[in-house]
Amino acid sequence: MKTVIPVDDSDVLKATRRFLRSLMEAGVVEALYVPLETEGGAVLPALVTDPAMLERANPLAPVMPINGARAVSALTGKHTPGTLGAVLRPCEIRALVELVKLQQANLEGLTLIGIDCAGTFEVRDFTARRKAGNLDWAGYLSGLKGGMATVDGLPLRAACQMCVTPVAENCAIHLELLGSDLASGIPLTVADELGARLGLSETPRGEGAAALLPTVLEARRQTRTKELTAIRERMNAAGGLDELFASCIRCHNCMTACPICYCRTCLFKSTSFDHAPDHYFNTARRKGAMRLLSDTLLFHVTRMNHMSTSCVSCGMCTSACPSDIPVGAIFSAVGEQVQVAFAYTPGRDLAEALPLVTFRESEWTEVGEVK
Amino acid sequence: MTEITAFEPRIVAFLCNWCTYTGADLAGTSRLQYPPNVRIIRTMCSSAVDPVYVLKPLLEGADGVLIGGCHPGDCHYQTGNYKTRRRYVALQEILKTSGIDARRVWLRWISASEGQKFASTVTDMVTAMKELGPNPARENWAA
Repeated sequence: MKTVIPVDDSDVLKATRRFLRSLMEAGVVEALYVPLETEGGAVLPALVTDPAMLERANPLAPVMPINGARAVSALTGKHTPGTLGAVLRPCEIRALVELVKLQQANLEGLTLIGIDCAGTFEVRDFTARRKAGNLDWAGYLSGLKGGMATVDGLPLRAACQMCVTPVAENCAIHLELLGSDLASGIPLTVADELGARLGLSETPRGEGAAALLPTVLEARRQTRTKELTAIRERMNAAGGLDELFASCIRCHNCMTACPICYCRTCLFKSTSFDHAPDHYFNTARRKGAMRLLSDTLLFHVTRMNHMSTSCVSCGMCTSACPSDIPVGAIFSAVGEQVQVAFAYTPGRDLAEALPLVTFRESEWTEVGEVK
Repeated sequence: MTEITAFEPRIVAFLCNWCTYTGADLAGTSRLQYPPNVRIIRTMCSSAVDPVYVLKPLLEGADGVLIGGCHPGDCHYQTGNYKTRRRYVALQEILKTSGIDARRVWLRWISASEGQKFASTVTDMVTAMKELGPNPARENWAA
């Protein structure tokens, strides 16, 4: 069912809050995962069970402190203890699809509320600007139409500037924020049965998104191609990979922020690479010197092997890096090559098997044979 | 007087217990000659070789890494080597994209009866690694 959420006085946020509240009041969901505003102007993802708390809800705020797929994984696990709704951006939904395939989350009792996303700011930029009280909110909302790269001179996160999937998919409820004049109503697509429960009815509407989206996507696609090509060239230069990761302090933030890296017993969190003193001395004697901490490149290239097939390019790793290494672009550049090799698009379809857990007997028959 | 030492590649080989390791054993008991440049590690299946085990020696400076498994269809665990094959394809893409020489990692299917094939594979690999020259990672202190 295609319908429109009415918006009064151009207050899109208020209309969104009212709609989310109706989900709880109609008993569609008992709890809702959604970002809430604090008194100080920060926006924090939270699990809400009291509908009154939704007066603080702000899923439109252009900030993404965590990839929500991680939260939904924590909330659903093997068994979800209640009916749950989750308001997620497109890259969060795609990461969630991957986590379900990896058996780290389940969709039972889960209603996904997908919102289109024009892009998000770094948490520090967003918080600073909101505290100063001068974020051009109306500017951002109108920018949702065009999918811009900066608001008030504030740049979007690097991953968002080259995001080619800003439209939410695989969700039961889709708030179509991109390309529409939201002041006159928020376009909504919802399953018929669910729409009936919410007392909604089919409403005719314009095709705003259809007209604008191709232009935005083309610009984003060009940015992505340019960025990833530049990163590949840097990696392929002599010593390029070393140079890219030279400022890595091996804090593992990229791994911690990554929605796909779920292993609790990660090799790199173990003591496997706490070598005996002799090892360091011997290696240094052999090479003349040895970087400490050791095994930095090994950590990153191993992570490429373990998660790049499922990398959804959400860029949380880049945002988490204290050394400003373009981790997300590096992993996207590598991930894209691997995903193309397996004709796999992470997060697209639950029915598509993860490339490394499946196989066909007839494929790559030349591999392993003498050329 | 300076001593000239020819470059002798060091190759780390992960061989599956049921096929290639037994094939290597057959090469030995058959007294086949092959270069002594290979350091063999026995694994229960080629699919038990996580990429991290290949990357560690490669980034430490080993000149080549060989993964040996049963021929497709002959896996002792039914499908392990098909998964090895996919993982190897992914590893090759990652090495190529990230600027690490993918030609240093070989995957070969060698059965328990193919002692001759094991010996010739090692011979070929040593020749190929000599052509590539020493792995630059061996001198790289900053990895």
